[in-house]
Amino acid sequence: MDRRTVILKKLLTRLMGFIAAMLLLSIIVFYIARLAPGDPLQSFYGDAVESMTTQELQEARKRLGLDAPNHIQYIRWITNAFHGEFGLSLKYKIPVMEVVSPLIGNTLILGGISYLVVFIFAILLAISCALFEDTLFDRIICKVGTAAYYIPAFWLGVVLVLIFSINLNWLPSSGAYDFGKSGDLLNRLEHLVLPLIVMVLSHLWYYAYMFRNKLLDEFRKDYIILAKTKGLKKVEIIVKHCLRNIAPTIISIMAISSPHILSGTYIAEAVFNYPGIGALSVESAKYHDYNLLMLLVLITGVLVIISSIIAQSINEMIDPMLKEQEAATWKKATKNSSSW
Amino acid sequence: MEESNEEQFIMVGANYKEHIPKEKIPSFSKRLKGKPIISVIVLAAIVLCCIFAGDLINHDPSSFYLKNLNEPPNSEFYFGTDSLGRDIYSMIWYGGRASIIIGILSMVIITVIGVTYGCISGTANAKIDAAMMRAVEILNSIPSLLLLLLLVSIIGKQDILKISFIIGVTGWFALARIVRSEVRQIRNYEYVLAARCMGANFLHVMYRHLIPNVVSAILFVVISSISTSMAMESTLSFLGLGLPIDVISWGSMLSLANRALLSNTWWVIIIPGVFLVITLLVITNIGNYFRKETNRRASNL
Repeated sequence: MDRRTVILKKLLTRLMGFIAAMLLLSIIVFYIARLAPGDPLQSFYGDAVESMTTQELQEARKRLGLDAPNHIQYIRWITNAFHGEFGLSLKYKIPVMEVVSPLIGNTLILGGISYLVVFIFAILLAISCALFEDTLFDRIICKVGTAAYYIPAFWLGVVLVLIFSINLNWLPSSGAYDFGKSGDLLNRLEHLVLPLIVMVLSHLWYYAYMFRNKLLDEFRKDYIILAKTKGLKKVEIIVKHCLRNIAPTIISIMAISSPHILSGTYIAEAVFNYPGIGALSVESAKYHDYNLLMLLVLITGVLVIISSIIAQSINEMIDPMLKEQEAATWKKATKNSSSW
Repeated sequence: MEESNEEQFIMVGANYKEHIPKEKIPSFSKRLKGKPIISVIVLAAIVLCCIFAGDLINHDPSSFYLKNLNEPPNSEFYFGTDSLGRDIYSMIWYGGRASIIIGILSMVIITVIGVTYGCISGTANAKIDAAMMRAVEILNSIPSLLLLLLLVSIIGKQDILKISFIIGVTGWFALARIVRSEVRQIRNYEYVLAARCMGANFLHVMYRHLIPNVVSAILFVVISSISTSMAMESTLSFLGLGLPIDVISWGSMLSLANRALLSNTWWVIIIPGVFLVITLLVITNIGNYFRKETNRRASNL
């Protein structure tokens, strides 16, 4: 049993956990959708349901697969899901995959860029705040940051639209691109500016404050004195030593932050009518479009779990302590295998 | 005998005076130092105005003045009217009632569930504890908005109670974790052991020992959960998933914001929003006061 098998085993257990979580999630969502009060027939046919005869209703139920008991419906759904068929959208009357697939990219772009921007700015802000600890600068940033974090994101978005796109007419207020300009990069960027500002403002301080406090704790350690006597400059100490020491913390925070940021993306999308899965899930919740909502929940789950797995792996690559643990387990494993 | 005894001890020193330390009564202003006075005053003002909304308003908040649609702030309608012709000034105070009630109700639900769950998980044996914490972790890893969307789509038409319930049910995960870790620390102390030896059951230990010790650690989270719940309510209402337009709250007033953008009527967006934001910030500021500040040594840097 060598090192590679240990890593492979680790990946496999993680994959198993991932699949189990997805199955559980899908069961929960499926039953919630079936227990919900809105009649799927109602949302599929609209008011036409009331004028249908009983026979027509039964046929309609059969066509939508609503006649079987719940667990059989679930098994049917999950076998179809493995073939990439997730049923019809009740609102759009086309397969949900077709509704969702063009929008995932948009959400990933918005979410990914804001994820990066938020963390880069958070680290920079944390360093500058920690460097000037307890000065006026630090205190003002702390107050402003807390305020920005607690202002509801949607209101911030609406106010920004009011100022920058309606009164000043600088930036577009909605959508991901102007009609017929989907390939125009500049146009896309223009549409990204306002949602990005909202995302950054409403998430930045939450993380910056955590990192700032971590850095401040780090400044109290003894190795700082040694570094200072060596003649390193403050900034050098922070970049070369402190930042490196808190890197695992930063990355593990980044790993668990993806649901938080994704949830923010949903609000930003809804405010700016940005065509992504967030705006779509708000809409599908409004119209009781459960097939669509289920797929969206599953996609969100996949996004969250994958990003946390990636962050965990990066964390292990960077943090020597974790590597040592891995080495220890490897040794243990080799020991065990020799005794077998 | 007594006199001679006293003579044995002779007071020395030229001007010996018994030193009686003056009892220092800190001045009123000193006592208030560092406390969030301005926040408390502002919050009290807003809450009082909302309670006595009936005496403040000059129009009926739920009637439609169809002749005065989208009127900017003027002497008759202090804060203008919205696109349905309702008087914003009167609605602010009535809406504040609903918003604050939702915040407090959700806070109560969050606290009850979070503290109970945390206490149970913290006092249970390792296996149950791990399972309970794992469940919270999974729930916490679903984006909170998605969880809310699911619940909203199940429950259907909203009112104040239902929306507080939804927000409360999805908001207790962080609190449960904090309570659990505090309880884990406390539960091994001798006095808890003594109480258990004397036959105290779980509820008694929780009520007499765990909760009083945990309070200081969770007060900040509990208070700021009022403001996060209020923000959540307004977000849901804005998305059209919260309170319907005829139940007046700051959130449902803001659900007209998209329409207001089209007609560029800033007062419909800014005024309820400013009231909401000020209330949120003030509550957060008060909560921050209760935050456990760890005493830091001087920086080595």
